[in-house]
Amino acid sequence: MNLVRLYVMLIRASIRSRMQYRFNFWLSTLLATLVNVSEFLMVAVVLVRFDGIQGWSLYEVGYLYAVISLSKVIYRSFANDVHNLDRYLVNGELDQLLTRPLPLLLALMSQNFRIMLGETIQGGGILAVCLVMLLQQGQVGWIAIPLTLWIILTGAMILFAIGLTTSTFGFWLTKVEVLQTLTEDAARSAAQYPLTLYPGWLRSIFFTFIPVAFANYVPSLYVLRHEYGPWLLVATTAVALLCLAGVLAFWRVGASRYQSTGS
Amino acid sequence: MLFPVLVRKAYRVNLQYRGSHLVHNLASSLFGFMYIFIWMGIGATHELEGYGVTGMIHYVGFNQAALWVTGFATFGLGIPQRVRTGQIALDLMRPVSLFYQTALREWGQVAYQFVYKFLPIYLIYAIVFSFSFPTQFSTYAGTFAALAIGAYLAICIQYLVGVLALWTTESGWFHWLNYAFLMLLSGFFVPVEWLPSWLRAISLHSFYPYLQYHPVKIYLGHESASVLTGGLVWCVGFSLVCAMVTWLARQRVEVQGG
Amino acid sequence: MIEAVDIHKQFRTPVAKEGPFAGIRSLFARDYRVKEAVNGISFTLPEGEFAGYIGPNGAGKSTTIKMLTGILRPTSGLVTIGGMNPHKERRKVARRLGVVFGHRSQLWWDLPVKESFELLGAMYSVPAAARRKREGEMIELLEMSSFLDTPVRKLSLGQRMRADLAAAMLHDPDILFLDEPTIGLDANAKESIRGFLRTLNREYGKTVLLTTHDMDDIERLCSRVLVINDGMLRYDGTIPELRERIGLPTVIRIRFQREPNVPESAAVGLTPLRASVEESAADLAGAPFRIRKWEGRQLTVECNRSEVTAMEVLRAVSEWGDVEDVETSEPEFEEIVRRIY
Repeated sequence: MNLVRLYVMLIRASIRSRMQYRFNFWLSTLLATLVNVSEFLMVAVVLVRFDGIQGWSLYEVGYLYAVISLSKVIYRSFANDVHNLDRYLVNGELDQLLTRPLPLLLALMSQNFRIMLGETIQGGGILAVCLVMLLQQGQVGWIAIPLTLWIILTGAMILFAIGLTTSTFGFWLTKVEVLQTLTEDAARSAAQYPLTLYPGWLRSIFFTFIPVAFANYVPSLYVLRHEYGPWLLVATTAVALLCLAGVLAFWRVGASRYQSTGS
Repeated sequence: MLFPVLVRKAYRVNLQYRGSHLVHNLASSLFGFMYIFIWMGIGATHELEGYGVTGMIHYVGFNQAALWVTGFATFGLGIPQRVRTGQIALDLMRPVSLFYQTALREWGQVAYQFVYKFLPIYLIYAIVFSFSFPTQFSTYAGTFAALAIGAYLAICIQYLVGVLALWTTESGWFHWLNYAFLMLLSGFFVPVEWLPSWLRAISLHSFYPYLQYHPVKIYLGHESASVLTGGLVWCVGFSLVCAMVTWLARQRVEVQGG
Repeated sequence: MIEAVDIHKQFRTPVAKEGPFAGIRSLFARDYRVKEAVNGISFTLPEGEFAGYIGPNGAGKSTTIKMLTGILRPTSGLVTIGGMNPHKERRKVARRLGVVFGHRSQLWWDLPVKESFELLGAMYSVPAAARRKREGEMIELLEMSSFLDTPVRKLSLGQRMRADLAAAMLHDPDILFLDEPTIGLDANAKESIRGFLRTLNREYGKTVLLTTHDMDDIERLCSRVLVINDGMLRYDGTIPELRERIGLPTVIRIRFQREPNVPESAAVGLTPLRASVEESAADLAGAPFRIRKWEGRQLTVECNRSEVTAMEVLRAVSEWGDVEDVETSEPEFEEIVRRIY
């Protein structure tokens, strides 16, 4: 419990640091919103014109898109520097973190809190519009709202696990930029659309090695399309927890390798 | 002569990273695959008028590769960093205009990216989706000219973004702004004629289609190279603006005394 | 108490491949070169010791410090800090250590100094009242009250260093590891930090291990010096002993108006030899200096200042001819380290 309180305290300090550059913050928020909106618009234009893809309506695809965007916001807000571990390895800042009486991962996660207001507004906005439309059309009931929040949370856990796994490889490879493009950026972008679009081999990767499928696509099958059953959500939660446990073990191996090789 | 020397040097500098760039190409080609699969998904149930599924695959594949020539110019052509270190005062004092120096360096970079990014990435798509290639020489010439015009426009834009750093420390954001417009207006993912009318109007009145839409249309044989006249007009316009801004930058640095 | 028993550390560095597709090939298989960074070092620092740890760059200093603080695990050998193993119980040991890296700060860059103190206090679970009391003491000792509300990024290097030292002391550790705490500071700032460190050691009884490139730091602060080179301990003892053993030479360059008449007995000493200049004044009898080089009117001699003053040397050599110009240079730290082996 003490560690949680400490984490919150450190996160708040990081926010105060950010807020020292207020103008920069608002400008970046504005532009981040714009960039993200235009990125979504690019695809939305197509969906409107062709009335959805492969039986998924515009609002359903928008839902997939918004859910994984918000999961990413949570992951990257609370654990931003997990993504930047290679920087700590290169400039030796990790040594400094190791002199603190904290678990290394917690020390790393509490270094920087990113306030991703732009992404939150964009993701939240799209999600709200899509849910309202789906509610009006009677496709989903009110229960979808709390379920969606839960999905976003488990999705964040999965994205965190994927990101941390990728970064942990940095203990061996040092530079993981290319790997991150694959496992974080490309995979997450792919999961913004129904996975049935992709050929079997690619889809199976998203269900196994880079399990983004469980972040939004699988749970949406139940919440939006009422396929399978509520156990699907239980299953995705289990997958998320499993991923977390696995990656924490892997992280410990990586960190102890760092301590024995110093590279 | 200065011109080939600067271009060749910038090209050579990049050569040393060739190996890791080739690996990186595989990763970045994945985005193109994703966009291609989306169009294949749509094409399964809709007729993609004027293109067909095969046409759209070519369209997106070409554009994804072309981003490396007309989309991803160096942020501010490296000028913001030179402003931060103060190097810019020396650059402006040289007998060659700042625009000329930085643009030439970027041409070397563009040439490198054409060979080691554009070609390999397009080749990956061509192999995976068994692309057919244009048979007429004039198509290649037209495409090459269109890409050159697009690259020049991209260089001008980044030059303007870069020089802005003399006035504001936040010039990085204009880079992102440009990126957002590029995604939406250049026809990168959606052919411009399929945009909703209000977006189409904005797009057609801007230079963005010359970065992606016109090159790919010429490559696919949908347009003749004569559309590039408009691109040339934009090039002339941008050149004038860049020259003017260079003059302003000189004034500003002289006023500040370096 | 700090104890290191025969610690070794080997690093494997990948060897870059050459030839076609080097980048891709190195992704799959790598060749390694093994480097022995620390090669069997043992020492014990009792409580209250102030030890200087010196050696040239790349000698293995920081690697040793990293092993002592639990950042790195030794390839073999044993480290104990206050009876605990810093690798098995890193977090526990961390609470008993204060660590300061001179070229790095553990403070929050954009926040006022005192907020960093609060955060560190919480991190080491120091009760607020105790923290405030210690903070007060540190502020007074380091004269920090004028910049407590300043964001760290706006501090001068000297102020930042003082703040970093205070931060490392907030949880009242009994052991301090300082890695080049005076690097880049001006003379005043160095002096103030040395004063603080002396107080910590003499009055609060803290055990301190200091690495530095500044010989003054060592001479003014340390009761003991450890010299490392090539990963091995070359010297472990007190400063007077070190001085005696190395003979910290001062170099004096003398230009004569005419070619001097150097006596045979001294001139032979162009190779290492202690020349007793007996024909000079009686009180100089046995005072050693050594002729390093003699070229026409130019004479270069070395002497040990603890045994002879520059004036005495000068008086001795002036017997050999009329002195035109004199220039002395103090012993170089690197030179001393080079002479250890």
